[in-house]
Amino acid sequence: MVWKWLGALVVFPLQMIYLVTKAAVGMVLPPKLRDLSRESVLITGGGRGIGRHLAREFAERGARKIVLWGRTEKCLKETTEEIRQMGTECHYFICDVGNREEVYQMAKAVREKVGDITILVNNAAVVHGKSLMDSDDDALLKSQHVNTLGQFWTTKAFLPRMLELQNGHIVCLNSVLALSAIPGAIDYCTSKASAFAFMESLTLGLLDCPGVSATTVLPFHTSTEMFQGMRVRFPNLFPPLKPETVARRTVDAVQQNQALLLLPWTMNILIILKSILPQAALEEIHRFSGTYTCMNTFKGRT
Amino acid sequence: MNIVVEFFVVTFKVLWAFVLAAARWLVRPKEKSVAGQVCLITGAGSGLGRLFALEFARRRALLVLWDINTQSNEETAGMVRHIYRDLEAADAAALQAGKGEEEILPPCNLQVFTYTCDVGKRENVYLTAERVRKEVGEVSVLVNNAGVVSGHHLLECPDELIERTMMVNCHAHFWTTKAFLPTMLEINHGHIVTVASSLGLFSTAGVEDYCASKFGVVGFHESLSHELKAAEKDGIKTTLVCPYLVDTGMFRGCRIRKEIEPFLPPLKPDYCVKQAMRAILTDQPMVCTPRLMYIVTFMKSILPFEAVVCMYRFLGADKCMYPFIAQRKQATNNNEAKNGI
Repeated sequence: MVWKWLGALVVFPLQMIYLVTKAAVGMVLPPKLRDLSRESVLITGGGRGIGRHLAREFAERGARKIVLWGRTEKCLKETTEEIRQMGTECHYFICDVGNREEVYQMAKAVREKVGDITILVNNAAVVHGKSLMDSDDDALLKSQHVNTLGQFWTTKAFLPRMLELQNGHIVCLNSVLALSAIPGAIDYCTSKASAFAFMESLTLGLLDCPGVSATTVLPFHTSTEMFQGMRVRFPNLFPPLKPETVARRTVDAVQQNQALLLLPWTMNILIILKSILPQAALEEIHRFSGTYTCMNTFKGRT
Repeated sequence: MNIVVEFFVVTFKVLWAFVLAAARWLVRPKEKSVAGQVCLITGAGSGLGRLFALEFARRRALLVLWDINTQSNEETAGMVRHIYRDLEAADAAALQAGKGEEEILPPCNLQVFTYTCDVGKRENVYLTAERVRKEVGEVSVLVNNAGVVSGHHLLECPDELIERTMMVNCHAHFWTTKAFLPTMLEINHGHIVTVASSLGLFSTAGVEDYCASKFGVVGFHESLSHELKAAEKDGIKTTLVCPYLVDTGMFRGCRIRKEIEPFLPPLKPDYCVKQAMRAILTDQPMVCTPRLMYIVTFMKSILPFEAVVCMYRFLGADKCMYPFIAQRKQATNNNEAKNGI
């Protein structure tokens, strides 16, 4: 009993050192990539922005089937045609992930028409870009339903089958704002923080489930329609990410079974600073870096 | 050139912030007075909410108690009235002892008001807030404390319970803050207290909905703080309270690794509330109880994910909710827990 405890006490620091070393080495060595040729991928919010690039990237990497969910048929149809021309089987369904009944209905339709989904990418998101007092109540709730609860429903719909098959992957396209909130997007920050916790909790729960894993991607500001008009103060130091870059790195992470991905790497520094600095210091840095004003010019999607 | 100057100014301010933070450690700042101010507490009927109410009552605040459970809310109100009577008796005794008038606070007609309110429902919050404004006056301190837990694994949890957890624990903060912040903004005075959890800083398996709601609250609080800062409303303070597992019965059965439990036992509610009150009265932006939580947060930010998982496993934190869920299930089968949510 005591010896077991002492053994654990000795092994723990060794394990930590090993894992840190392994992570460091993993950044240098070329990664071992998992084969996607038998995987069926479902991408929510798949009609445009990062979702569209994700679909393209999965197709290029040889995914067997791709299913797109979204609310705008025109975008979905365009993306579907593009993927089909690449030679990959592709389907689309019109679905608002914020609507629970709709998610379950469409999940059933997907199973009947396409078959089992083995990679679920939760990419759908909305942002209203207003301060709390300027935000409409329904808009606040919509963000929560699409960005957070939508992930609950899609995961509940597809995870049981993944566990049965012992093959599956759940991906969450989140945002660095989940860990470092800004003014002017309080609905988005709240919902993305919730989504991050959901994924972290789920990831911990899936560690004991063979064949099923999860990936959370936290990109910095990305040049898409969703955050149109948002202005970064030092674009040379912190250039907005390209959606194709985010998509490529996301699929890399899926193929490597990476649990957490911050884009770009320098965001790690932000997270570390946040856990060290006193609040007043953080506020000064935020003010200097322009996060207090970056949403003032926000237009977003019409 | 202006940017260079600004950069040095910011650097200086950052270093100065460290100095001030260190100074706070050495010299405890004086606590501000909440006497005569209106303090609203959600979830006041039990747990931390009740203890917050008692602490604010001892500091002569006027109390507005919100809870969905009318009976336990009235019980809290009874305790508060008891404290008020004790304070009045002490005042009377001091007066009879012949002390100078300056030393005695003016009698401020201490009262406690109770409202039955489901903070998960937006209309309920707005209507009750309107009644508070009419019957009591403007709220100076808002303590968002109400919380529920479903106690189910994700795939077994009814969808309605997931939604309810999010609504009560997270979305309610939107409504209460929207209801009372406008007046605070007008007079540039107020304090918003958000009671979250250590599960708002790091997750654990098995309670995805609770972790999601508490992380959301932390994100909301942080964004709100920045908004107030950006709007230059320095009279409105915010405090985020992140206690470790508190021994209130909400998470009965939850346990970490048994060898480590002696070092990290569940918090006594009294201790937790006292630490939080000190933070609130000294305008501290955030308080983690115990302080070890700061270290865990820091470790989590510098280590790769696999190492964080290893640390969690060593502490037994990754599965600590599984016994709670098992116990909850057993209680539900015995029809005990139906009133809990």
